[in-house]
Amino acid sequence: MTLSKIFIVAKKEMMGIIKTKSQMLVGLLFAMWFSVMTAPVVKTVDEAAVFDTFNNLMFYFVLMLGIFMAYLFSGKVFFNEKREGNIETLLCTPLSLRQIWSGKVVGVTIVAYLIALLAAVLMTIIANIFSTSMLLPSPAILLHIVLVVPAFIATAVGLLGFGHLLLGMRENQIINISIFIVIFFALSLTKNVIGAGFVVSWIEVGVLLMVAVLLLALISYLTRYLSKERIVTTIT
Amino acid sequence: MIEVRDLTKKFNGKTVVNGLNFQVQEGEIFGYLGPNGAGKTTTMRIILGLLRPTSGKALVFGDDLGSNDELRRKVGILLDNDGLYDGLSACENLDYYAQLCNVPDREEKIRDLLDFAGLTKRKDDKVGTFSKGMKRKLGLARAMIHDPDVLFLDEPSSGLDPEAQRMVRDLILHMAKEKRTIFLNSHDLDEVQKICSKIAILNRGTIQAYDRVENLRNKFSNPVFEITLTDAANAKHAFDLLQSLDYVSDCKPDGLGITATLKEENYSNILNELVGNGIKVEEAKKLAKSLEDVYLDVVKEDSS
Ligand SMILES: Nc1ncnc2c1ncn2[C@@H]1O[C@H](COP(=O)(O)OP(=O)(O)OP(=O)(O)O)[C@@H](O)[C@H]1O
Ligand SMILES: [Mg+2]
Repeated sequence: MTLSKIFIVAKKEMMGIIKTKSQMLVGLLFAMWFSVMTAPVVKTVDEAAVFDTFNNLMFYFVLMLGIFMAYLFSGKVFFNEKREGNIETLLCTPLSLRQIWSGKVVGVTIVAYLIALLAAVLMTIIANIFSTSMLLPSPAILLHIVLVVPAFIATAVGLLGFGHLLLGMRENQIINISIFIVIFFALSLTKNVIGAGFVVSWIEVGVLLMVAVLLLALISYLTRYLSKERIVTTIT
Repeated sequence: MIEVRDLTKKFNGKTVVNGLNFQVQEGEIFGYLGPNGAGKTTTMRIILGLLRPTSGKALVFGDDLGSNDELRRKVGILLDNDGLYDGLSACENLDYYAQLCNVPDREEKIRDLLDFAGLTKRKDDKVGTFSKGMKRKLGLARAMIHDPDVLFLDEPSSGLDPEAQRMVRDLILHMAKEKRTIFLNSHDLDEVQKICSKIAILNRGTIQAYDRVENLRNKFSNPVFEITLTDAANAKHAFDLLQSLDYVSDCKPDGLGITATLKEENYSNILNELVGNGIKVEEAKKLAKSLEDVYLDVVKEDSS
C-alpha cells in the first residue's frame, strides 16, 4: 500500500520531468557535453595510461553529472510544487509527508540516473572512437556506476528535497545558487581528480558507497523534522 | 462530524484565531464568513491538519486529520490554490489524484467529472492553458474525485462567471442532499444565504455570531417595515408621527411609501399607532432582512 502510493508519486514526477522539454534538453545537452569532453583527454594521454584515465573520467563525470541532474530536477519537483502552492492540496490526500517526499525522491532519482547512464554509454563510445585500444569500464567502475551513482543521486535529491520543503523561498533560492557554483567549481577540479598516478579502485568505490548509504539513512531520519505546518508556513 | 473546541492559533505570538467553538453536523452546509484576514483560511488549515493548533482541538469524524492518513480519504478540499499541475492535462490531473485516493473505476469517474465541469472538449489540453475559472472548476472536480464525505471549500466561486457560480451552488446543494457535509469559506453573502444551513461570522479571530441563518437574521438585524399610505397628506402625517416614536430608529420617506427601521420587533404597535391617529394605511409589510445586513451589523458592532 505504502509502496504503491510512493510509486504513483514517483511515476507522475518522472513523466513530469520527461515531458518538460526544456529540462530534458538541458539534461541531454550536459550528458553530451560531458561525453564529448572525454575525447580530448583520451586522445592526448599516452597509450599506457589511457585505460586508467578513461576509468577515472567515468568515475568522476558520471557521478558529477548524476548529481547535477539531481539538482536540476529537484528544483522543479520540490521547489516549484511549493512555490505554486500545490503541496498544500497534496498534503491533504491520504499520503503521509514521508510518502510524498519518498515518491518524489524516487521519481527524480530514476530520471537523473537514466541520464547519467546514457552519459556513461556515450562516454564509452566516444572514448573508443578516439582511442587505438578497446576501452571498457573496469569492474570497480561498473560497480560504481551501478550502485554508487544512483545512491549519491538519491542522497542529493533527498537532501535538496528536504531543504526545499523545510526552508523558505528566499533561503532556497540562495541555496540553489550556491549549489550551482559548487558543482561548477567541482567540475573545474576534474584535472586534479583524474590526473595520472591515481587509479580509482574497489576501495574508493566501497568507501563512497558506504558514505552514500549513511547519508541516505541520515536524511531519511531528518525527514522526521519536516512537518506540514513548517511547509505550509514557508510557502510565501 | 466537524468539531472545533476552544481553538486558538498564534503565529509568532500574534493571535490569529482565538477560542473558536463550533460544530458541523452530517449533511449540513456550514458557511464560514468574515472580512479579509479574519482567520477563515487559518481555521480551515487547522481542521485539515495543515497547521497545529496552539491550543484547543479540531476533530473530523472524531479524529485529527493531520495525523490520520486514511481519514483524509473521506475529505475533499479546494483551497485558494486549485491544486492542479500546469504541465499535465485536465485528464491527467484528475487521474493523478484519483490514483492517490485509490478511486475504483477511475476512467468513468473522470469522464463524469470532466463533463460536470464542462471541460470534456479540453480534457487533453494542458491545464496551464486554462483560464482562471476553468481551473477553478477543474479544481472542484478534483476535490470530488474520490466521493468525499466532507468537502472543505475556500471561496470556491472566486474567479467564476455567474453561470459557473450557479453551478457550484447547485453542486453544493446536491452534495448536501446526499448527506455530505460542506464547510464553505466565503465572502459571497448572497451565495451563503441561498445555500447554507448554518453560519458562523468570524471577525478578527473570534466568532461573533454562530447560528442557523434564519435565527441570525432575527437575532441581529433590526426589523424594517415598509408602509404605503393612501395619499400625500397621509404620508406626511405618518412620517412626522413615526419620527416622533422612540422605538423607531430610522425613517425614510419615498413618495407615498415610508421605510422605517425599528429598534425592536414592534409591528402591531406601530400599526395601532398609525390607525389610532387616523392615518389611512394602504399596505404595510415587514421586509425580509438579508444576510448582508446581519453580517454588516455583526462586523460593525465588533469594531465599534
Ligand atoms: N503563516 C502565517 N504567518 C503569520 N501570520 C499569518 C500566517 N498565515 C496567516 N497569517 C495571518 O493570519 C490572519 C488571518 O489570515 P487568514 O488567511 O486566515 O484570513 P482569511 O479570513 O482567510 O482572509 P481572506 O478573506 O483574505 O482569505 C492574517 O492577519 C494573516 O496575516
Ligand atoms: Mg482566506
